[in-house]
Amino acid sequence: MKMLSTYRKEMKIAMRGFYFYIEIFIAVVMLLILLVAIKENPDSKQREYVFYDARPEVVELLFAKYIDEGKIVPAADTEIVMKPASFAVKNRDTGSTVSYSFDSAKTIMARTMREIDVDDGRIKKTIFLLDTEEDVLRLSHSSGQVGAIVSLGDRGTFSYRYILQGYETERLTNLLYVYNARSVDVLEQEMDRQAVRELGSTERLNARESAVPALITFAGSLMGFFIVMSYLFLDKDQGVIRALAVTPATVWMYLLSKTMVIMTTVLISSSIVVIPVMGLKPNYLLFYPFLLATTFAFAAIGLLVASFFDSMSKSFGVLYLLMIAFMLPGFSYFIGSFDPVWLRFFPTYPILYVFKMIMLGKPDVPYVLTASAGFLVGGLAVLAIANEKFKKTLTV
Amino acid sequence: MITVRNLSHSYSKDGKMAVNDISFEIERGETFGFLGPSGAGKSTTQGVLTGLLKLQKGEVTVAGYDLNKVRNERFNKIGVSFEQSNVYSKLTALENLKYFADLFDVPTRDPHELLALVGLEGREKDRAGSFSKGMKHRLTFARSMINRPELWFLDEPTTGLDPAIAATIKDIIKEEKAKGTTTFLTTHNMYIADELCDRVAFIIDGEIRLIDTPRNLKQRFGQKLIEVEYIADSRPVKETLKTIDDGDRRKLAGIVTSYDIVTMHSKEATLEEIFIQVTGRGLL
Repeated sequence: MKMLSTYRKEMKIAMRGFYFYIEIFIAVVMLLILLVAIKENPDSKQREYVFYDARPEVVELLFAKYIDEGKIVPAADTEIVMKPASFAVKNRDTGSTVSYSFDSAKTIMARTMREIDVDDGRIKKTIFLLDTEEDVLRLSHSSGQVGAIVSLGDRGTFSYRYILQGYETERLTNLLYVYNARSVDVLEQEMDRQAVRELGSTERLNARESAVPALITFAGSLMGFFIVMSYLFLDKDQGVIRALAVTPATVWMYLLSKTMVIMTTVLISSSIVVIPVMGLKPNYLLFYPFLLATTFAFAAIGLLVASFFDSMSKSFGVLYLLMIAFMLPGFSYFIGSFDPVWLRFFPTYPILYVFKMIMLGKPDVPYVLTASAGFLVGGLAVLAIANEKFKKTLTV
Repeated sequence: MITVRNLSHSYSKDGKMAVNDISFEIERGETFGFLGPSGAGKSTTQGVLTGLLKLQKGEVTVAGYDLNKVRNERFNKIGVSFEQSNVYSKLTALENLKYFADLFDVPTRDPHELLALVGLEGREKDRAGSFSKGMKHRLTFARSMINRPELWFLDEPTTGLDPAIAATIKDIIKEEKAKGTTTFLTTHNMYIADELCDRVAFIIDGEIRLIDTPRNLKQRFGQKLIEVEYIADSRPVKETLKTIDDGDRRKLAGIVTSYDIVTMHSKEATLEEIFIQVTGRGLL
């Protein structure tokens, strides 16, 4: 009864303050951005400049095959203006450098193709077929995009020279070496021989859906972490904690009611984003327990941090640092190549990937339940420490 | 109702004591005034007794509960009115009282009745944040009565209130006393203490200098005085004479027979004067 009254009171206060509406407003804005500004399968803006050093019939034959397979669709020719430029190109294999200088502008009509993703039909990249190797070099230099010079060898096989910008990762350059070292047929044979064990779901989230796990992690758990602190300091400012301290209500009840308000707010704001974007795809029976468990854990962390300070302004330095630290796993989520081991120790790291798993609709149920239980138990432990700390400091 | 034995409390580790080895007892139904200037140790003592401050040293029993063994149920018997009003500004006056009523395990008073008692009828549905300082203070005062406390802690209950409201608050305290409520009144207002308290304690520099009834204190330390104003040589003259001094009594008789008296009043020593006499310090 006391707990229910305290929760009801906290909800009334939250709904009469602006933090609650900020959270809801942010959720609505995020939903609008997802639905309006982010396409489910956005076309790539990647361009590639290619010169085929082969007879035109061979090139036509090659493209006819790709067009038949649906991998490429022809587009209208593109007028490209090349400005005067000077640059040097270094050969990675030999180490030699060749300088180029073009004093006059040049305008060409480039034959244009679009490479299509056969799975979802989106445009993977736009390919411009150029007439000379020098045009490839000039355009690759001026646009910062990949260029390729494809030559037909004596034995009827293609050899590739790529024009890169120099900042590409070792992984990419190695991949290009491997990919072009042998014929595709040989590679496919080799790949077929490998025993492949599927570790995760092969399902993919589209561009819009893949933003959802990050949004609900950062706008949910992290906002909860921040807002619970502001609620607590508001009570301290008004002195009501001293009034509560002389009633049979316990500090534990008080702190728990704060986390429950945050959980309710996050439940509403996350639903505003998740349900319209994801529809029935996620497993909601796993989503909501995990969402509540993680929000509870972060609210508990917020309360523990608050227990060390008298006011919001004094806690700002630590608050800011923690918010940044908790957001770091987002880089790993959006940039797959950035995934250092130390990042996995941040609590937001597993949250992001579990949400992604849930959004895919085929989650590893025992894993999600274990993670939910882990965050719940961890949150309770943190709250217990905050409770002990607050018992000594809350009324002083 | 309250037993305090050798209570000491310090906010620092340098040995400086906010309250130093004080002892006193308060009987059931008694109104006990704890008097002293700011920083004397009044709020610290009340903080320990109400549980807001942890008991560091000494033995304290409040409403039958030993403070060394913390039990929240003791708060069912206790009401606390703070000097600084502390209500939920986003809740209405009624919501504030109803919420606190829900926190107690004992039958509580009707919030409407309490609001009417402190002159807040008609403002039940207004948010406390829109109230004046005095209204918030009255709401804080009303809240302290919500659980029908057997032991009532009042910290400067009339400070900052206009005289009419202050008189209402004093009347409520007297009514509660008549019902048998024990009151621990912390104040530096000696007139309030004199009017309301059965006994008072003078505290200064964390130590109790004296505990007694206001009447006994006046008898012990006060002297009956007569203030007389008369006309001598066409000029007004004002004198204060002691009724227990033979010389003053003869002088008074001479004045009455020889001069035109303008005013003449008997005067008792005030608690404030006695406090200054006992402690050598003022109350502010």
